[in-house]
Amino acid sequence: MRLLVSADTHLGSPIRSVALRNPDLGDRLKQASRDTFAKIIDLAIDEQVDALMLAGDIFDNHYPDLKSRAFLVTQLSRAADAGVPTVLIRGNHDALLDHRAHGALGEGIHLLHKGAPTVVIGDTAFHGLSFDAAHVAKSFLPDYPQRVPDKRNVGLMHTSLDGAAGHDPYAPCAERDLMAHGYDLWCLGHIHAPFERADGPVLAVMPGIPQPRHFGERRGGSVTMVTLGEGAPEYERRAIGQLGFGEASVDLSDCADQQQVLRSLRAVFLEAQEAGRDTALRLHVTTEHHTAELITELAAEVLEGVEGVFLDKVKSSPPPDQQSAESDDLLRLMREELHEAGFRQAALDELEALRLALPADIAGALAEEELDALLEEAVAEVALTLHAGDTA
Amino acid sequence: MRLNRLDLIRYGRFSDAEIIFPKPAQGAPDVTVVFGPNEAGKSTTFHAFLELLFGFKSGQHPYAFRFERSDLLVGAELELPERGPVVLRRNSKRTQSLLDASDRPVSEGMLTSALHGLTRDAFEERFSLNEKGLREGGERIAGAQGDLGQLLHAGLSGLTGMSQTLDALSARADRFHKKRGRGTVLKVGSDRLKVIGQELRADRLTTEKERRLREDRDQRTVAFDAADTALRQAHQRQAAGRAAQVWYDRAATIEELSQALSDLPDGPDLPAGAAAHVAGLIEKITALSVRITESDAEIAKLDVVITEHPEDVAVVPLRAELDRLDQLTIAGAPLMGRASTAQADLARRVDEKAELAAQIKDALSRLRVPDAAPSALALEPDALEALAGAVQQCLTAHQSLGAAESAADAARAQLGDAPVEPQDLTALRAAFDAWRGVADLSAAEQAQERALATRTKAVAGLPSHWSALIDAGLPARETLDDVAREWTTLTADLASARSDLDVRAAELAAATADHRAQEAAPDVVDLAMTEQTRRKRDMVWQRHRDGLTPASADEFEDAMTADDGARAHYLSGAEARQRLRAAQSQLQTAKARHDTAQSLYDGLATRREEAQMRCGKLALALGLAEDASPSAFVGRLQALEHAADAAADVVNAQTALKAREVDQNSARDGLAQAAGSLGLDTGGDISTVVHRALTLEDSNRKAWDKWQDGAQALADLDDRAAQCAENYDLAQAQLDRMTAALPLADRTVEGVQAALPDLRQLHQVYAEHGKLSTRVEALEHAIDALKTGARRLARIMGDAGDGDPVQVIDDARARLIASERSGEKREDALRRREDTVAAKQRADTDLANAEAELAACFKRQATSDLPPRERVALLEKRDGLRAEKRVAENERDAARAGVDADLFDEELTRLPDATRMAELAQAVTDAQDLRDTARDAEREAARVHRATLEAADRSDLATEQATLQEELREGARQAAVARLGVLAARGALRRLAAERRSTMLRDVEAAFVAMTAPAWTGVDVWSQSDGEKLVGIQPSGNTVPVEQMSTGTMGQLYFALRLAGYRSFARDMGPLPMVLDDIMETFDDTRARAALKLCADIGAEGQAILFTHHAHLVDLARDTIEGVAVVDMPDRA
Repeated sequence: MRLLVSADTHLGSPIRSVALRNPDLGDRLKQASRDTFAKIIDLAIDEQVDALMLAGDIFDNHYPDLKSRAFLVTQLSRAADAGVPTVLIRGNHDALLDHRAHGALGEGIHLLHKGAPTVVIGDTAFHGLSFDAAHVAKSFLPDYPQRVPDKRNVGLMHTSLDGAAGHDPYAPCAERDLMAHGYDLWCLGHIHAPFERADGPVLAVMPGIPQPRHFGERRGGSVTMVTLGEGAPEYERRAIGQLGFGEASVDLSDCADQQQVLRSLRAVFLEAQEAGRDTALRLHVTTEHHTAELITELAAEVLEGVEGVFLDKVKSSPPPDQQSAESDDLLRLMREELHEAGFRQAALDELEALRLALPADIAGALAEEELDALLEEAVAEVALTLHAGDTA
Repeated sequence: MRLNRLDLIRYGRFSDAEIIFPKPAQGAPDVTVVFGPNEAGKSTTFHAFLELLFGFKSGQHPYAFRFERSDLLVGAELELPERGPVVLRRNSKRTQSLLDASDRPVSEGMLTSALHGLTRDAFEERFSLNEKGLREGGERIAGAQGDLGQLLHAGLSGLTGMSQTLDALSARADRFHKKRGRGTVLKVGSDRLKVIGQELRADRLTTEKERRLREDRDQRTVAFDAADTALRQAHQRQAAGRAAQVWYDRAATIEELSQALSDLPDGPDLPAGAAAHVAGLIEKITALSVRITESDAEIAKLDVVITEHPEDVAVVPLRAELDRLDQLTIAGAPLMGRASTAQADLARRVDEKAELAAQIKDALSRLRVPDAAPSALALEPDALEALAGAVQQCLTAHQSLGAAESAADAARAQLGDAPVEPQDLTALRAAFDAWRGVADLSAAEQAQERALATRTKAVAGLPSHWSALIDAGLPARETLDDVAREWTTLTADLASARSDLDVRAAELAAATADHRAQEAAPDVVDLAMTEQTRRKRDMVWQRHRDGLTPASADEFEDAMTADDGARAHYLSGAEARQRLRAAQSQLQTAKARHDTAQSLYDGLATRREEAQMRCGKLALALGLAEDASPSAFVGRLQALEHAADAAADVVNAQTALKAREVDQNSARDGLAQAAGSLGLDTGGDISTVVHRALTLEDSNRKAWDKWQDGAQALADLDDRAAQCAENYDLAQAQLDRMTAALPLADRTVEGVQAALPDLRQLHQVYAEHGKLSTRVEALEHAIDALKTGARRLARIMGDAGDGDPVQVIDDARARLIASERSGEKREDALRRREDTVAAKQRADTDLANAEAELAACFKRQATSDLPPRERVALLEKRDGLRAEKRVAENERDAARAGVDADLFDEELTRLPDATRMAELAQAVTDAQDLRDTARDAEREAARVHRATLEAADRSDLATEQATLQEELREGARQAAVARLGVLAARGALRRLAAERRSTMLRDVEAAFVAMTAPAWTGVDVWSQSDGEKLVGIQPSGNTVPVEQMSTGTMGQLYFALRLAGYRSFARDMGPLPMVLDDIMETFDDTRARAALKLCADIGAEGQAILFTHHAHLVDLARDTIEGVAVVDMPDRA
């Protein structure tokens, strides 16, 4: 039996990158989550898999729109008409999947929940639970059905396995307990970076977010094809997202003129090119003479001639040895200044003034706890700007 | 750090060039002026120095034009703190590029610590200055508006853009956000986000919105269902009205038809097509009657024909005999076809046969064998051709033999007598070549002369015992270099150590004096002293109590006073004791340093004496005076090595000349021996005799070779003639074998050749004669058979049979044809009669059947006297009326089917009513309109609900929202970074001003006044609300803000700041070389002198290197700076 496993599609949730300021890219990716989901359905039909698994977070609570639900039903019906049934569960973002409020999804689409935790397709029993709250502190595992004898058993669970760092603690579950539950395969969701865990004949698959939305999700962009045969399940990751996020570093310290800078940037961008999908690149530049602003302008010029690579962000910093130069009075004194109580208060006041002017959604970027990081950047920025603008 | 020497080993246009920066004399400033014209490579030199310190930059190298980048190499002797002089080299590799003098990699840490962590750019900014930098620095510090922190920072770092940097950062932050700013990035972005938010909220399909749409759709569905029901009811009533009308009309029709049927005969309905069936039967009966009559007449007519054609019994034997005759053939062709011509043909063939027999006889006569059997000489074509071929073979072989014998005779006559065979001169030629190779000695003699001249030139200027020095062995170049370097280093170190020792001695003397002074201070009393004075006082008191004398009283008073004084000093002497302890510590430190310096000096002195002794030994080994300078060692070594090479060349040239003379004598002996063995005259000029003999040998050798080639050709021709004779014999034998069995009169080649035409004719005539004999015989057999057949036919026909056989056969054939035709007519008549009798019998049967069928058509019908045609027409009319009645009844009954019974009854009671149908149609139209309207509304509601669900979400807006938020988030961070950076920088600059003002301001003022006097007398600092400001003071006492100074003055202020910065750095970290590149070329002499004095101040703290291409600046430097070193830029080659 072949299964296509996906999770965390977050339909309706947009890509968040300055790279989308590029009109072509912005236009191509304005419906990225929907387009990627349609590609998943296409893949399931083309490969004629026996079932499609969706392990929660199909929608996104920040974009609650019933149109997304209609889109989901249309796409899953398309798969069902082509002979591919779908088994899915709700995640912590899936209020729109409430079957009591919105009804069933259709023929060949099996939403598993407490009232109907198991469905049998062919020789395989699929088990799953959907919970209604956005935050669940306890493990779902004890409530999952026992293994059905003489069948293959596949579980779907939305969980922060072993309390994964960087994710909301949603239905945390110990990996050891999961693998010992008696199922042959676990299709997991919630963690946006893909991974697989194998324990003897048992396999757990976290397929990751199919279309990464920001730099933090750069490891995503895939779905997982699982084959259940006689031995241990076999798996294969398939790239699916239209846009990937990457990062690259370039040292411009030795560039004698602007032409060399342009050549170095072009080499980095060409290396970042990836066949079949666009890349939003975060660029870390080591330089004594170029501010991030200037690098951004030069990069834009270079990228006009490089297909499929777009600039997400530029981080410009001086070489490490210069940052700690004992002989640089200004650096030394600025660092001393940072520890002055009066200075910190003045800095907090500046930060607050700016924060209050920001839209509430992004005010967190200038939270007080960001102060130390911002000050470090500020010291480096002064040095960089000073050296960049002074050739005397 | 000090730069002692810069080695431009392979760099730019320089190859193995060096610039030495001499150390100044004691007390003189360390200033070196490097003089060179424009394009002499000053920039290259400075670049090389930077790359030595910090490594080569990656990528294409600006100075890799003479040498490949990988071959570039620079070096230097640097004096490093705590290490002393170190020779380093730097190649262009990415790693391990820093090397020691032996090209071994050394750690970068050695230089990094000496450079105090400065990067290349920071070093360049701080420790180099050119005219452009000076000018622009002056202009740019105006932007600082006199800010003390910024100015001091500019002086320290060399960076002048602080003001612009802070302005740029503030502007960047303001572009993002500024209070009450309307066009800021944040304001524009926030406004757009609000619009997007509103649009997204409006577009979002919430549960409530969807519920409203769904309910609207459901209500429309209910309304549609009601209208649809009403329409169906209107349709039902209309149908009931229409059915009632039909019922009413059909009932009247049925009544009329019943009335008409009552006048027509009873009986069942005729089957379909009954009238046509009856008509058909009547016609059939008539036709059958006619056909029976015609059959009877035909039978009678055929009986007559049969009687007229009786049967002939001779037909069968006649046909058999004629068939047999038709089978007979002559030469493959039917006999009967040629029966009439066979007789005449037989006679002609017999004549032709006799003619051929006569020709055979003639041929035998020509062959002169008239009695021979023709079959013995009538050869087959293959045998004839073989015989002709054998004759031709004999003729050809005979001709070839004649030709070969003629050619051999002609060659033999041409060859003539054999010449004398020449001698073998190979050995003589080899000996002659060997002699000629060594005959000329002039080249070796000239080489010897050149070597002697070179040696004479090389030893000029060397002592007379130069060859003894070389024989004794010369020291190695590396040894000389090491010793010279060690001697130079030790000399410099010794001078440095002497200087240091003097300083330490002075420090020790000062510390000793200070210690003594502190010791001598009255309040330096320690606790032990107070205890001692107390014990003395108590002891004296005890003595005074015992004696109570004036003397003891005085003594006690003195002791008590001393004790009180000691205690008073002790109580007030804490600071003095502290000073004393410090003086003691300083004294110990000074002693230790002095001892160390003394020890270092003594050690160096010892090592230099040892080095001096080694130098003396080496000088003697080189033929120099024992006290000669090591700098002369290398030159002398090179001269001695050159002389040694020249002497060796002379010896080699002499040896070569002698060897060549030996070779020449040996070659001459060999040549004479070879000539003698051949009998040549060796008495005179042997080479001439040999040369002539070798020259004649060529022509003799050619004549001998030519005669030998002719003899060989003659032998070949003889061989060929013999071969031809053998071939002729073989051909003759073959011909004989072939003619042995033939009865020929002449069997020679010519005889056989002459008989060949007759033999060919005999073969042809003999064959034709045989064929003709066979044909004549066949004709005779055929004519006999024809006659026999004619007689048999005559017997069958009853004739005598003695006539012409051909005529008999023709008669028989005519008789047979006539009998066969009569028989055919008789057979035809019999067959037709039989058919006609059978047809008549069938017609009788059909007639009876038709009459029975016609009667059946009217079975069970009422009886009638009418003929069948009229009777059936009446019955059909009756059946038509019956059918109309049934249709009317069916239509009447069908009208009620499917119609509501109550509505039908209701409508039927209304009839007759002429307007009722129109009323019902209008009611249906009205209901239809209402239903259609409801249907459209329902569909629209469903479409809206469906379309709303299926509509593309506003992902474009959500994406724009997310992108914009990202932009603003990043922009906010950058703005915060800029604002915090400005905040931190301003704070740091205030701190810098506070920290450095005390140490730098004096230097700034001194340098500024020195440069600008008498226009300016000093600088001052004003405290203002926005920080401290530097101002200049004029002789009148007026103060002038920095930004109001002239450009030139600001440049001089900037130079003063840089000078103060250098001195500050040198004090804190230690000195580094400062490189000044023609900064004074626009100064007048007065300002230039002042600037040079300031350079001397740099040299007093550290090391100043001045590049210039102005000779007058060199003179000014010599005039202004005591002990200044002036060196020239090295040549590039």
